[in-house]
Amino acid sequence: MNYLELWNSAWPAGLTMLGLGSGFSVVLLIASVKLKVEVDPKIEQIQQALPNLNCGACGFAGCAQYAKGVSENPELLGRCAPGGPETTAKIAGILNLQISDSGPAERPIVHCRAQTADKTYYAKYQGIATCTAANALANVQACKFGCLGFGDCTLACRFDALDIIDGLATVDYAKCTGCGACSRTCPRNLIEMVPFSQDNMMTVACSSKEAGKSTRGMCKVGCIGCGICAKKSEQFTVEDNLARLAYEKYERTEETEAAFNKCPTGVIIYVGKSAPKPRVLAKKAAIANNKE
Amino acid sequence: MSTLNTLLLGFISIVLINNLVFTKFLGICPYLGVSGRIDMAFGMGMAVTFVVTLSGTLTWLIDHLILMRMGLEVTRYVCFILVIAGAVQLVEMYVRKFFPSLYESFGIFLPLITTNCAILGLCLFIHLWGIDNLPEAVVLSFGAGIGFTMAICIMAGIRENLNLADVPECLKGAPITLITAGLLTLAFMGFAGMIR
Repeated sequence: MNYLELWNSAWPAGLTMLGLGSGFSVVLLIASVKLKVEVDPKIEQIQQALPNLNCGACGFAGCAQYAKGVSENPELLGRCAPGGPETTAKIAGILNLQISDSGPAERPIVHCRAQTADKTYYAKYQGIATCTAANALANVQACKFGCLGFGDCTLACRFDALDIIDGLATVDYAKCTGCGACSRTCPRNLIEMVPFSQDNMMTVACSSKEAGKSTRGMCKVGCIGCGICAKKSEQFTVEDNLARLAYEKYERTEETEAAFNKCPTGVIIYVGKSAPKPRVLAKKAAIANNKE
Repeated sequence: MSTLNTLLLGFISIVLINNLVFTKFLGICPYLGVSGRIDMAFGMGMAVTFVVTLSGTLTWLIDHLILMRMGLEVTRYVCFILVIAGAVQLVEMYVRKFFPSLYESFGIFLPLITTNCAILGLCLFIHLWGIDNLPEAVVLSFGAGIGFTMAICIMAGIRENLNLADVPECLKGAPITLITAGLLTLAFMGFAGMIR
């Protein structure tokens, strides 16, 4: 077979394909004009501005859905916790909106500071190793308010910002994005989302509403509701044997510093980035010295 | 009358007896992939029905009017795939315009109709069975789509109920789905030989 014969048998095939192809392309061209879907370019821009972590902190299934939602309803602005104010500002820019300062970003505070050595146990728990399961059991540990330490919150956290250290949930504030998943997961509601007006915040790391004597019997570091902090600073209030800070008007003053220094159980601590160390109680220090 | 009879028998044959999914094992990918929920399965079936009817008809026309007359049977596969891809593009635009939620839930499976072997399979079967008139080709194509829709909807119905069943741990997910598919096929084997 020479080249001419090959060519003669090949060109009708090529021409047919070309004809069919162009026929279909014309049909598709007409269809694409007739059936055009207008996609708002803003939605795409917003989605690119979002962190695309799909964490669900905004209340939508994912970043794509939030982008669509916020473009239709600007009231949803500022729901993106991982993105923070920068992302909100970007989205506002895309939507041509002006935003007022929405206040400091929220971060979780674990209202318990009892590690395994500080707690009292009646018996050894050998059930399912989750907080939710353990919480159903009344006597899993003496304190009915404190951290169970099975780490449901560490599983809920998508950012690896929570660890169980010596039986206590501990937040790594460098990794935390403030999505609030841990706060929603904790079966004992120990984790509160607090507006962090400063890098580190003072807090009463206890949730026990038992009477002071009873708390002291169960936990070495619990709040006994003595009220010394409330006397030292107006920012503290004591209710149900439990001291609390008013975070809305939190300010570091000499008074709060005095409360920090006078707290008999040392339950007032700093949390957050580069937080000052908890106060070492005189008694504890003495015991530690003796051991040495 | 005899023409009508042939058409009716052809339709029943392709839906029940020579069902592409159950007896030819074509189109298994969407059959297992999109049969999670019955509404999505029905949407998928409708999309496939549209594409298969359109491409079955068009490929018969192209085959008989162009390819066979010019002795270009060798380009049959390429031309058929071209037709199918064009039809799928059309469906995709249509669904995106008029059923956006369906479009989102289909995801990748909608453009994947292009590579659905049931469709190319049917176009080639029409040639293989020696169908030489247009009405029969149209009815067979439409019937193949209806057969696919029926198969995927039955499967979706079973799988929706399967979610509530106490399936042994080792069979959860894909294994039990494949077993179900096998049992369904066995059941449809009962139709074999009904029309000679």
